Amino acid sequence: MATRYAFSIDLDRCIGCQACVVSCQAGNELADGEAYIHVGEQIRGKGSTLWGSFDHHRCFHCADAPCVAACPTGTLTKWNGLTVVDREKCSACGYCTDACPFKVPHIVDNHVSKCVACLDQVKEGQAPWCARTCPSQAIHFGDRETILAEAKAKVAALKARHPNAQVYGETQLGGLGLLMILLDAPEVYGLPVDPKAPAAMQVWQNVVQPASSGLSVLAAGVMGLMFVFARRQHGKERAEHERVAKEEVARKTAQPELKETQHD
Amino acid sequence: MTSATLAPAVDTVADLTPAVDPVAVTATHLVRRYVPAQQVIHWIGVISFFMLLLTGVALLFPPLSFLAKGGTSGVVHRIGAVAFILLPALYMLRMPRKALELVRESFTYGREDWEWFKHMPGYIFGSTRNLPPQGRLNAGQKLHHAATFLMFNSVAISGLLMWFAKGQLGPDGLSAIVIVHDISMLGLSVMMIGHVYFTFLYGALSGMVTGKVSEEYARMEHRKWYESLQPETPGAAEKTEARSAE
Repeated sequence: MATRYAFSIDLDRCIGCQACVVSCQAGNELADGEAYIHVGEQIRGKGSTLWGSFDHHRCFHCADAPCVAACPTGTLTKWNGLTVVDREKCSACGYCTDACPFKVPHIVDNHVSKCVACLDQVKEGQAPWCARTCPSQAIHFGDRETILAEAKAKVAALKARHPNAQVYGETQLGGLGLLMILLDAPEVYGLPVDPKAPAAMQVWQNVVQPASSGLSVLAAGVMGLMFVFARRQHGKERAEHERVAKEEVARKTAQPELKETQHD
Repeated sequence: MTSATLAPAVDTVADLTPAVDPVAVTATHLVRRYVPAQQVIHWIGVISFFMLLLTGVALLFPPLSFLAKGGTSGVVHRIGAVAFILLPALYMLRMPRKALELVRESFTYGREDWEWFKHMPGYIFGSTRNLPPQGRLNAGQKLHHAATFLMFNSVAISGLLMWFAKGQLGPDGLSAIVIVHDISMLGLSVMMIGHVYFTFLYGALSGMVTGKVSEEYARMEHRKWYESLQPETPGAAEKTEARSAE
């Protein structure tokens, strides 16, 4: 079985320095203003109840990725647990921007813009730029089993300080390829507790799309075949129609024309 | 032009020939069926429909997705969409009476239409002899127009939503809308194939090229309409044109 890669982001370790954002932009040579990672902050309460945490908005690499299901051109595909991007194929249709339950993909300069999992780096055995750059070792990358076990151990250790700490992404959408170590409930971070890929999306890709192209081609083929027979039948009818019309003419006009008609 | 009673089914070929000036029968006389503005609108429709179909199929059929890369096909799709969506408005503004009549006729069915549908299989295979005489539109054309009218709306509304509400549809909205869009276009494409099929089967292309069809076609397929055009005196072809083109 193929490797299943995953990221983990430990929000307890994250110091919000934006180093991952910058190394991602530099390593992937992103256009000005384009970013695959957005680091924000969550602050609640005042004084003694003050609570704060950074949060990361970026691709979760869902196993059952709705963006992959929606992508009509094969730009977005799954590769060893990661949702990878072949920008060359993108038509900028933007279906992925609506399909994603996390509102991650965007269209920038006529192509999709989202985390590409630094595929070139990973294929060479290196970790993605964000994981390699993080100065507080909040971002990890590797085999999903190992990453998940580490994340769970970290959460167990966090429970004393943060009773609601949890790993987000173990089971959602077939298991996310980015496991987030949260200090509180997902809602606090604006994350859907149980994101779902709509069943209709599968129906569309697996039934409607092939049926549409198949049935149109079938209709054209069948009608092409029928045309041969139908045209012959119609030709016979037209000839009869014409014969009757000519007889009518012959009956009503002079004899010489009758001869001509009979010649037919 | 309209008669409440159902005309008896035509049994013999001889019955198909109306009492008409014999000379006019042998010479291929033409009858005007469409005015130039209708032809122009039709061809704008043809061009925009195929722009939309081909650029749309690029997103539907994975082996053709290379046509869509870079987003150019998306721009072409939108240009086609503007032309396609504005067509009914253009028709309405230019020929309000004809446009309304087309809609009204397409949704009105009488006994002759049901009779026609009974013989539709024969018609599909090239036989017109058992068909009851039809008016300007035969029952099949009416149904074609009615279905086109409905699917035009669903394909246009779903398309406009994808154009202007992209990013706000959400996963459920998007999948519902693309399904409606695709199925509507599947319906329109299959009907387009049928439309082209009948056009070539019964040699009616000239109607959209010159605006005129042969008297033979008019007599065989739209006998009631044809007879309603008959000039009182032989050789009054100009009169025929003037009456049908008004």
